[in-house]
Amino acid sequence: MTEARTGALFMPRTYASTESNKTGSWRYLRPRYEEKTAPCSTGCPAGEDIGTIEMLTAQGLFKEAWEKILIENPFPAVCGRVCYHPCEAKCNRREFDSGVAIRILERFLADTASRYELKPSIERSPAKKQKIAVAGAGPSGLTAAFFLTVLGYKCDVFESMPEPGGVLRWAIPGYRLPPAALKNEIARIENLGISIRTGKPVSWASIEEARGNYDAVFIGCGHPRTAMINFPGEDSAGMVDGMEFLRKVRGGGSPPCEGLSAVIGGGNTAMDVARSIVRLGGKAVILYRRRRQDMPAFEEEISMALDEGVELKELLAPVRLTPDSGGYLLTMQHMKVTGEDEKGRALIGPDGSRTLDFRIQRVFKATGAEAAEEWQNPPRKGQERLALNGCVMVRKKGDPVLVYGGDLVNEKKSVAHAVASGKAAAMALDTLFREGFDAVPARLAPSAVGPGPALSMEIYMGGERRLRNPHVVRFEEINTDYFRFEPRISQPRLLREERLHSFEEIDLRISANLAMREAERCFNCGICNRCDNCYLFCPDLAVIRKREGQERHIDYDYCKGCGLCVVECPRNAMTLEEEGP
Amino acid sequence: MMRVIEGSHAVAEAVRLAKVQVISAYPITPQTHIVEILSEYCASGAMNAKFLRVESEHSALAALIGAQSTGTRTFTATSSQGLALMHELLHWTSGARLPIVMAEVNRALAPGWNIWTDQTDSLAQRDTGWIQLYCEDGQEVLDTTLQAYRLAESVNLPVMVVLDAFFLSHTYEPVDVPEQADVDRFLPPFEPKFQLDTSAPCSFSPLVTPAFYMEMRHEIAAAMDEALSCYPEIEDEFAGIFHRRYGAVEAIHCEDAQIIFVTSGTVTSTCRLVLRDLRARGEKAGLLKIKLFRPTPVELIRNALKSAEKVAVIDRNFSFGSGGIFAQEVRAALCNTSGHPPVFGYVAGIGGRDITGELLEEIYWKTKDSDVPAAESIWMGLQKVDHGK
Repeated sequence: MTEARTGALFMPRTYASTESNKTGSWRYLRPRYEEKTAPCSTGCPAGEDIGTIEMLTAQGLFKEAWEKILIENPFPAVCGRVCYHPCEAKCNRREFDSGVAIRILERFLADTASRYELKPSIERSPAKKQKIAVAGAGPSGLTAAFFLTVLGYKCDVFESMPEPGGVLRWAIPGYRLPPAALKNEIARIENLGISIRTGKPVSWASIEEARGNYDAVFIGCGHPRTAMINFPGEDSAGMVDGMEFLRKVRGGGSPPCEGLSAVIGGGNTAMDVARSIVRLGGKAVILYRRRRQDMPAFEEEISMALDEGVELKELLAPVRLTPDSGGYLLTMQHMKVTGEDEKGRALIGPDGSRTLDFRIQRVFKATGAEAAEEWQNPPRKGQERLALNGCVMVRKKGDPVLVYGGDLVNEKKSVAHAVASGKAAAMALDTLFREGFDAVPARLAPSAVGPGPALSMEIYMGGERRLRNPHVVRFEEINTDYFRFEPRISQPRLLREERLHSFEEIDLRISANLAMREAERCFNCGICNRCDNCYLFCPDLAVIRKREGQERHIDYDYCKGCGLCVVECPRNAMTLEEEGP
Repeated sequence: MMRVIEGSHAVAEAVRLAKVQVISAYPITPQTHIVEILSEYCASGAMNAKFLRVESEHSALAALIGAQSTGTRTFTATSSQGLALMHELLHWTSGARLPIVMAEVNRALAPGWNIWTDQTDSLAQRDTGWIQLYCEDGQEVLDTTLQAYRLAESVNLPVMVVLDAFFLSHTYEPVDVPEQADVDRFLPPFEPKFQLDTSAPCSFSPLVTPAFYMEMRHEIAAAMDEALSCYPEIEDEFAGIFHRRYGAVEAIHCEDAQIIFVTSGTVTSTCRLVLRDLRARGEKAGLLKIKLFRPTPVELIRNALKSAEKVAVIDRNFSFGSGGIFAQEVRAALCNTSGHPPVFGYVAGIGGRDITGELLEEIYWKTKDSDVPAAESIWMGLQKVDHGK
């Protein structure tokens, strides 16, 4: 048996501390912690801090994640259902496998908060003396009231309909947005101390009377009326205003739908009308003057409508509507594509004089909507007029300041844009009252998320998010070695047969387990999630991690600037730059 | 259990039986089959080991230097360019006294790009402080790999188990794969003499001034000498369990031989047949197989060759500007003995060219017919090259 040779080996080894060797003096590159801007958050009109929201969700911190949404958007249960999620189109993960299901997660967080009746802790600024009236309890008005209250102002909301919510309550069908989910959100907004007076329409006269009572009025009355198309028969009894129809359905009524109805239009209202008709037992054919790919309706809405049996006929414009044996004859003109505009939308013109007749019971008009009264539209010009992101502010000596917002101003009529508008109005008014009219643009600009136009209330109020570099993280800046391919969650839904006979919500809940897994797919672009790669990879033990708390910092006495921490950071939350002179 | 396996797999089986804990390697023909099967063993759980994928051979050995420093048993395998890329860390391994074991498959260096066998890659690393063991067949390569761990861990020096590309690495032969229990008796778990220990923090390999460096190098030299003396003891123990023994060198019919072949690697097997034929014809031929190289078993070589009239060294390698490397080593071993035989250096089989029995016999007759070597290195089987105009 050979014995292992005993006795210590004479070899290079030292027990002396190397602390005296301040390797930091070798450094010519300096790493530092610097969070950057995630692309999704710039895609979100409301500027939600999505990267952080998903990070918290992945950690099971659902309340904190939900509160992170509320800092920027008081409507997570609504947007988690009806938003067209432009955030997802910007997700860097799309270049890796497929984008993160941000909207599904937003709804999960809102539903979870509601399920456990969570009360958000919302930071509020000290009370101010100014009072603001809000005309219209739709998404823009309620958002403006919410943020103005957060900023310390007293707000009264006036609503002409018997219940608040605007388009959310009176237009979007229950299968997309169940009434209970909306009620919850509005109750939470009211609980901040906002009074909502329903059945109280605001008139121009009442605004003039408000002089002295209110320092400002937010006008967010929306577009509740379908505009005229101008063709013979448009004023006949066979013509139904789509918005009016949806209002009736949302009010619990069952307006007549039997037989075949034509729906003229290509926006979300047209889809909502057609799909509601199907649920009420009728048949619907959508007639649109351009092509399917030109329709302003969200693609998902179009495909679901078709799936539910709605017909779609493209390149048809109305010529006339005439009564015809127990129904109507709708004559449509064939249209043809003559070119494309800069956004790729078809330019159209009549295709000769060819027409097509539809024998129908009635026609729903679901084309462009407009304001109910002319004074609600923002003035197009004027001296003391400020056009901001999603709102227009007008000052006239002696009168309350007027801010027009929501669909009255927004080119894109989405809930998220309405939220953005109400938020911008609140920031603008706060700056106006504190620093004056001229200070507004300069004060709002640095509150933009990345390059804008979305604004962040957290940044405006001086939160940590203001420290982020506006640089938008690109896919190539993510260290994908630290991520594995994972399929995107698919939205569970009611079966088509179940959908057709009720207004029950189509999209189903997902479990917390699935939500956390989906949230874990998020790269958290530019945002530190304390993965500690920097700490593990630093060859000089120069990353200092506090035992308690989450703080990390670099000990520049020893950091020799090798840059390993920056390269190994999976999400580009660190920056390496040349040492100054 | 007897199995018909490739030389590469014989190495892998030995690594599995040695219960290696960390493997890191970068694939290169002809080494790939070794690490392929080991990665499968790690993935399937047949081995309880961590397989580290790395981006180069340099990193493979660097990773093992780290792993071995924590007191684990480690393994890597490489060949040719890969070994050359490891060069810096080969020195580091021995300097840091880390008993890492590596399988090195002899392959020619480029250019011309060539994947076939040639010993120049491993012999070029002879001054790096690694023990080298050259193997002849599948059984030997399995057994030697097991012995390599015992040897390395006894003297705290790294060991290279060397095998010829294709002739050994890719050839299927019957190999007795031992039982785990028997291997466990021969090779107990690694007990490091030092290791990274967070409860007793220290830093390894700091600056060493001229006041100490020379002594540290002398310790390595002494450890090499120790390896020479403890290898037979390890072989005794191995033979006690497995009934096989190879020897640092193997001398066949050397006692009465007039001409002795000196070989290493697979050519030895061919030479055994040539020897049998020559002896049958009454020729007094002998054969000395060198297995252990670094430390060079100088005494054993001197002893085996002392009564020969001539020595014919077969080198499947070449040191440009000098000659075949084994020939140099044999000459160096003999030169301080009086009346030693002349050493004929034959260069053959470079870049994987076959060394046939006929070629070896030609070498025998050439040696017998010459009083002194015609040149320091005699290149065998060279074709005429047309250089054009």
